[in-house]
Amino acid sequence: MTKAQSLWNHGVKIGAIGGVSVLVICLIGMVESFGKRFIIAGYLPMGVTIALIISMFAAFIAAKKTPIPEKSIQFANAVMSGFVTSGLLAIFVIIGRSIKLRVVFVEASPVLYNILTGGISGAGGIFILLFAGLLCGAFSGLLIVLTDLPRKLIINAIATVFALGLLQELILPILNSWDLGVTNYLAGLFYTLNGLTPIGAILAVIIFCILYLLWHANQNTIKTKYSNLPKATQKKTKYFGLLILAIILIFLPQFLGLFLSEVLTIVGLYVLLGLGLNIVVGYAGLLDLGYVAFFAIGSYVVALLTSPQIFDIGLNFWQALPIAVICGILAGVMLGIPVLKMRGDYLAIATLGFGEIIRILVLSDFLKPWLGGAQGIGSIPNPNFMGFLMVKPQHIYYLILAGCILVVFISLRLKNSRLGRAWMAMREDEDVAQAMGINLVATKLLAFATGAGFSALSGAIFASKIGSVYPHSFNVFISINVVCIVIIGGIGSLPGIVVGAAALMGLPELLREFADYRMFVYGVALVIMMLLRPEGLLPEVRHKIELHDETETGTQTAAQP
Amino acid sequence: MKLKPERKLLLSLKGDFMTLLSIQNMTKRFGGLVALNALNINVKEKSIHSIIGPNGAGKTTFFNCLTGFYRPEEGEVLLSGNSIVGLSPDRIVHKGIARTYQNIRLFPNLTALENVMVGYHVHLKSSFIGPILGLKSTKMEEAKAKQIAMDLLKYVKMEGKENTLAKNFPYGEQRRLEMARALASQPKLLLLDEPTAGMNPRETQDMMDFIEHMRGEIGITIVLIEHQMRVVMNISDIVTVFDYGKMIAEGLPEEIKNNKTVIEAYLGSGDAADSH
Repeated sequence: MTKAQSLWNHGVKIGAIGGVSVLVICLIGMVESFGKRFIIAGYLPMGVTIALIISMFAAFIAAKKTPIPEKSIQFANAVMSGFVTSGLLAIFVIIGRSIKLRVVFVEASPVLYNILTGGISGAGGIFILLFAGLLCGAFSGLLIVLTDLPRKLIINAIATVFALGLLQELILPILNSWDLGVTNYLAGLFYTLNGLTPIGAILAVIIFCILYLLWHANQNTIKTKYSNLPKATQKKTKYFGLLILAIILIFLPQFLGLFLSEVLTIVGLYVLLGLGLNIVVGYAGLLDLGYVAFFAIGSYVVALLTSPQIFDIGLNFWQALPIAVICGILAGVMLGIPVLKMRGDYLAIATLGFGEIIRILVLSDFLKPWLGGAQGIGSIPNPNFMGFLMVKPQHIYYLILAGCILVVFISLRLKNSRLGRAWMAMREDEDVAQAMGINLVATKLLAFATGAGFSALSGAIFASKIGSVYPHSFNVFISINVVCIVIIGGIGSLPGIVVGAAALMGLPELLREFADYRMFVYGVALVIMMLLRPEGLLPEVRHKIELHDETETGTQTAAQP
Repeated sequence: MKLKPERKLLLSLKGDFMTLLSIQNMTKRFGGLVALNALNINVKEKSIHSIIGPNGAGKTTFFNCLTGFYRPEEGEVLLSGNSIVGLSPDRIVHKGIARTYQNIRLFPNLTALENVMVGYHVHLKSSFIGPILGLKSTKMEEAKAKQIAMDLLKYVKMEGKENTLAKNFPYGEQRRLEMARALASQPKLLLLDEPTAGMNPRETQDMMDFIEHMRGEIGITIVLIEHQMRVVMNISDIVTVFDYGKMIAEGLPEEIKNNKTVIEAYLGSGDAADSH
């Protein structure tokens, strides 16, 4: 291989990977079904945006991985990558237009070709496609060539516009619900019924840039000012921040409509599940894939005790709740005992089995007289709080919020205790933990029991919120979702779990086209996260130290008293 | 600082130093392989008792049997007269035996302070309810544990590094941290498995001085595994030599140095007593 060839290697290779990626999302229909949703109304549909972002990302990586740190060569590689990406797509379009690919690929329709070629048929369209690829490459190349500040500025500005467009269904109803002159004006200025207005997008970029530059310029002075404050004032500031957060959380459902509150409760239930699993997986290092079992147990216990169907015991929600949690804890111990000696993969498989056993038991005809079989149990009464019936999702929200606060409190308290340290020691090295005097049986069972109790709590709220329980609500995907939330959010990090739940559970509810591709996107997200940010979106501070700035650790700790 | 020869003699020979650990007829088999063969060893209180032997002689297996990680097929282990054979590792820590490992086994992603505090685990009582309710007894217990851990870190010359993750320490500090963690359980008997493995002669000497100091200051009994005979000669009160799971010699360092059986079995040929 000549030197010139090896120079282009990265551009071609990574461009091809980008091309294949775009091709895949085209062929599974993502580009087309996302084509109806606009980021910028009339100009930029979301499907195309995703394709553009992938090709830009590929070009960016190609330039970054270029072995020779010369800007011109990096730039050329980026352009090359963009060109290869679009070239692959162009070949696909040409083939697709001459042969009927639909026999094999259902989604390879003329509509897709039109999207890819900007709606122009013939050679002109192909030319546009290639040109777009070159532009993407050149844009990424420019980003590489630029210095740090403008690069960050541009990337973050694009991300802002993308997020604003994506979250339209979240932001627009909030603006509308205020129904003031200002908010109505803002809503009209920024949004159409489908996507940002071009003016809104430009305004968003400008506002973002100004804010970002202001922050960048004053960042250091603000930080030093804060650290120069006396300890008591710092603490006060912290409490003030917490107070503001509390006020926002308390009044949040007032701004959100019915639909968004519903989404919020779903996110909240998953936060609760994630916090519970975090104890088992994050603290104690026991990979539990059957976590849904305890969720199901919590739900069914509440259903059996409160619903007039089947047994007609007639307890109210508050009487049933502690029983449900205790049943969850007992189930956690029961699962824990047989798997005490198992580690790692074996534990994951065994717990996965446990989750399925519970679901199949509930579904079985054998237990139908007691658990309702496939028909489930209905007419579960809504919780009644001091004479006030919690019917709407806005009401249930407060129940979930209270649950989350309780669980966060317990998690934080336990983390820095003898038990928390024992869990973490066990996670790090089971044998040595035992050789330090830690009773593995008790410590493991406590981890399982605590996690299971939180899960049952979540399940109990779920049952009374929905009003009915069915075996199909408790399939293995719930377990997988929760594990994904914990991993993507950041193992061991409580804020990470909230972010993870919002991203993985909230977004798909807001973007309904997304539902078909949920598992695909999770898989891709997990792989990308593991490659680029293995510590999670909002990592626990310590995890961040572990995985990245090894050199910085010393200085950080040295600075601490 | 080396002990005077008279004191060593006193420690090893005189009867008024009680036997802390008594191993009687201990045998451990792995299938057909006899890893430890009818060992009889007595460890005197406050002594430094070294166990040496070539690779594969069964030294680490011996430690694993003492700490409950393996269960010996036959024999008895008495710690201050009480049998500890068959207890689980965590129970044995409660009885007062702590150990370090040949290949350092810290909790890599916990801080130095947390590592040492885990070592103090056996002396803490709180479980689930105490920390959640923030009971006063729990808080006081935690504060005490933290203080003890800080003191121990200072003792192993690692003050000011308590918030660094264990895995980010250099090798020598990891060794010392592991020792602090073992000391945190406040054991009667400390088992050190090749504490100088992978160290250069200078670091080895420092470590040996440190161990000797520790015996003097804390008044702890130490059983020390070593691969190199030379290293332990200056600090040991008594030396036991293993070969193929059998005890082939026991005595004062000087005696062992000149013991024909040891030189032949342990070193193969007589000319390499001081080589590595």
